[in-house]
Amino acid sequence: MKVSLVVGTLSHVPGVVAAMVVGAADGLIVETSAMLGATDGAGDPRKHTAALAAYLYAKVTRASDAARLGKPAFMRLEAEQGHICVVGARDVVLVTIVTPDANLGRVRLDMMTAAKGDQ
Amino acid sequence: MTDPTVAEAWVAAPLRRLKEDARLISGVLLYPTGRAVGQFGFSNAADVMSICALTSAINASSRELGRQLDGKPFYELHHAGADRQVFMARATAGGQEFLFVGVFDRESSLGVVEIYFAEFQKALEKLRPEKQAPAPGPSGDFEGELNRSLDALFGPIGKR
Repeated sequence: MKVSLVVGTLSHVPGVVAAMVVGAADGLIVETSAMLGATDGAGDPRKHTAALAAYLYAKVTRASDAARLGKPAFMRLEAEQGHICVVGARDVVLVTIVTPDANLGRVRLDMMTAAKGDQ
Repeated sequence: MTDPTVAEAWVAAPLRRLKEDARLISGVLLYPTGRAVGQFGFSNAADVMSICALTSAINASSRELGRQLDGKPFYELHHAGADRQVFMARATAGGQEFLFVGVFDRESSLGVVEIYFAEFQKALEKLRPEKQAPAPGPSGDFEGELNRSLDALFGPIGKR
């Protein structure tokens, strides 16, 4: 699946504020959706989120490997005002920023489907 | 990991934070003339001397290349080696330009280094002393300037 199609599909899932395809090794954004509800003064968190989420996913992969659990299938970080979801897909990771009231089951399913389509 | 050694005390805290946050193996902050301001990860003055000279030369040539190709100087440069990667960028504080060169491996990533370098640059801007001695321009004595800055970082030759 093309990265632009992945981002387009994920960004239309209810509750997804932003969807990104990020380089797994360098943490740089390959493709991103617009930031839903972003205002000019608030600053754009996508670059930071992308780099740190990819970094965190790399560490989680090592932890999972150390525990002999294999590759992580899905990573979700729950915060006060929402979630960050990450799924690995070969050389890239899919990252979404999600609202607290989002249907996480749907987000998870769509992200994993997109990741499988990328492989 | 060793703490940064610095020729100007105000850069110590931002350098330490950059090193820790971005998980850098080594790094040097210098003036575009090649004079070292601070470093971490090196124990040998000769290594820092080589890096300062090379970084200064690379900055001059890449800046001109940027002007030729894009009408403005390149802001940063990244080289990905097999195991280690080099990140080189310009930072300004109070109108004074600095160059930074840092080395990282798979414990970090270019995205992470870029993020924390942006924070480092803001910290430099914020912490730079108001009344600073005039910025060191090229005096023509490149080797002398370089040696004086290395003396400040590692001590005079013979005592290193």
